[in-house]
Amino acid sequence: MPITTTRRRLLAGSAAALAFPHLARAQGAAKPRLTAISQWSAGSDGAAITALGKKFEEKGGVWQHSPVPGFTTEMMNKLRAQIMAGDPPACSQLKGPEIAAWSKIAPTVNLDALVAAAGYEKVVAPDLAKLHKPGGKWIALPLQIYSTNMLFLSKRAMDKAKADKVPVTWADFNDLAEKMKAGGVASPIANGGTRPDDGQKFEAALAGISPLAYRAAIMNLEKKALEGPEIKAAFAQVRKIADWMDPNVGAQHFSTNLKRFIDGDMGMMIMGGWAQGVLRNAGFKLEDFMIAPGPSDNGKPVFLLNADAFIFWQRKEADLQAGQTLMAQLVMDPAIQTMYSQITGSIPVRTDVDLSGEGWSEGQRTTSKALKEAIASNQAVLSMAHNMAQENGMTAAMIDVITEYVKNKTIKPEQAATRLAEAVEGAR
Amino acid sequence: MSNAATMRPGRPALPEWVRRLPEYLTIWVPLLLSAAHLVSFSLWTIWISFTPSTLVPVAGWVGLRNYTAVTASRNWQIAFDNLLLFGSAFVLLSAATGLILAILLDQRIRGENVLRSIFLYPLAVSFVVTGTVWSWLLNPGLGIQKLVHDLGWTSFKFDWLIDRDMAIWTIVIAAIWQSCGFAMALFLAGLRSVDPDIIKAAQIDGAGPVRTYRRIILPSLWPITVTVVVIQLQFAISTFDLVRALTNGGPGIATQLPALVVYDLMFQRSLLGRGAAAAVLMLLILLAVLLPYAAWRYIQRRRGAHA
Repeated sequence: MPITTTRRRLLAGSAAALAFPHLARAQGAAKPRLTAISQWSAGSDGAAITALGKKFEEKGGVWQHSPVPGFTTEMMNKLRAQIMAGDPPACSQLKGPEIAAWSKIAPTVNLDALVAAAGYEKVVAPDLAKLHKPGGKWIALPLQIYSTNMLFLSKRAMDKAKADKVPVTWADFNDLAEKMKAGGVASPIANGGTRPDDGQKFEAALAGISPLAYRAAIMNLEKKALEGPEIKAAFAQVRKIADWMDPNVGAQHFSTNLKRFIDGDMGMMIMGGWAQGVLRNAGFKLEDFMIAPGPSDNGKPVFLLNADAFIFWQRKEADLQAGQTLMAQLVMDPAIQTMYSQITGSIPVRTDVDLSGEGWSEGQRTTSKALKEAIASNQAVLSMAHNMAQENGMTAAMIDVITEYVKNKTIKPEQAATRLAEAVEGAR
Repeated sequence: MSNAATMRPGRPALPEWVRRLPEYLTIWVPLLLSAAHLVSFSLWTIWISFTPSTLVPVAGWVGLRNYTAVTASRNWQIAFDNLLLFGSAFVLLSAATGLILAILLDQRIRGENVLRSIFLYPLAVSFVVTGTVWSWLLNPGLGIQKLVHDLGWTSFKFDWLIDRDMAIWTIVIAAIWQSCGFAMALFLAGLRSVDPDIIKAAQIDGAGPVRTYRRIILPSLWPITVTVVVIQLQFAISTFDLVRALTNGGPGIATQLPALVVYDLMFQRSLLGRGAAAAVLMLLILLAVLLPYAAWRYIQRRRGAHA
């Protein structure tokens, strides 16, 4: 496989060079150099982008990556400062609707020619492609995909509950949680206490109950859907989940409790696929847990899409332009996406990558299969908690309501639904 | 410096302003620069708060819309209530703790220097460290509650950190731990500056230690008390890193404080206009504390001049 993909990449690259001589000249004249910023500094994310940098250097480029650790918003603050100073990086991490919003404040690179040369558009999920070409032009490239509603099951907790069946619907899920509780699992739900954590519980509940309602209410912000019964049902499910969590998590990160999850002291975790990379990086074995698509009441997998991407900012320097071309080619390359996803635990953006080979885990194959099925049944939706469905301001307004609801058990599901609708109105 | 001219008799004396030039440069240039910095950025923030800026600052005029949006939001309302509670509880309790520590240290005890360093030490620790350490100590599953449970008292409950109504008090606790040493140092200086003759006179008149403190020493401390209160209040209003590390505004949004709201609006939600409006509101709260203090100082000084 590596040989053919390399050849394909070379072909794509030379096709682009033939079609667009100015790009070729830029590449010929200057050694490609790339200034990039991202939040990926440590753990599996840091390892993956470092590996990407190595590949960039192997192709003769100069790799200048400055990571900004912390949440994505902290990386954005650096990006904002650089843009306002008139010195944007050649390429930066950015994703979801933020790509469209940010592309209005500084000129971006039109990547249409490179995307066409690589035949990339055909192999990217349509909903996802749309986010990366605001105004009809490709200006950003998705790199890897996660589902934010994967269900992680602790093998030891399953043993305690004497269960071996993976729950499919929310009713199954609730049954299993009760069994775990009865079997001596201290907290059937493993969870962190951060804002996106709480948001994920809600989006998993709502999309699992009705992907249609999720699309209408959360992605399209339709008033009627926001006041619909599905929202109340989702909040009711979130209350159940909250009752099964360890109340002591406070504001901790989910990774703090992974050992208790593996030990069977906590049972199930609704988390993004990245948890697999974190688990593996922390030295846990793949046999200690199972991964399945999150609960879905109609039985068909629901996929809450979260995709990391790179946006390319316009630069005049010939070496940076050459670097951008090289970077774009690398990001679209199936071999590079394979390498990247195998480090982080995500799945490739390209739907034509074969995951049956060595180096892929069962969890990644499950995720990839779930994505294909979800796209086929129109149940692949964009994640709210991870800023794929709405811009940051709207997302934050929604999560305010959700996180308060998770932590305050006196709020009724009906009240929460009303507050959510109000918060959306206020943030419009 | 004025000796320089007399040491070289052969040369004519330099004009006064040339000789003092280094002094002027070292004092006035940094002062003007920092004042200009402060004032220009404050003015800029005030301007931004009236514009429709979101991701980056843009020109335009939206009147008071940013202000009404901020004051109508639940986040700000909770933050403001918390500030009133946190501000008053923290200032009163840290001043009281500092005063008690200072009085105890003032008893000419052995090892005073060591104790004073210990109580002052938290001040040298950054707020992020304080917040993180206390977030572990106060976490019921890891910290004090677990320790007491493991010792055998299993019904003991101390879960303020995860209790929405009590979580704000955990910030009060951590903030007092951090800054009561500072209050102690100021009060101790005050106690030591009381004229020993007056104390001797009181002792000769037969006043006991309690009475001496209550009637003579403490009343002479009140200018220092005002200073302590004002310094602690401006700290309370601008508290940010401590809360961010300790509770991050949680559980839910129960421990929001104005500075967190400003950061959240500006940098998490990319609503620069609203964030600037919240920042200006914070400035107004600060002025509400500092202006009366400045007025008080002015009146004090005039009285002193007349006396």
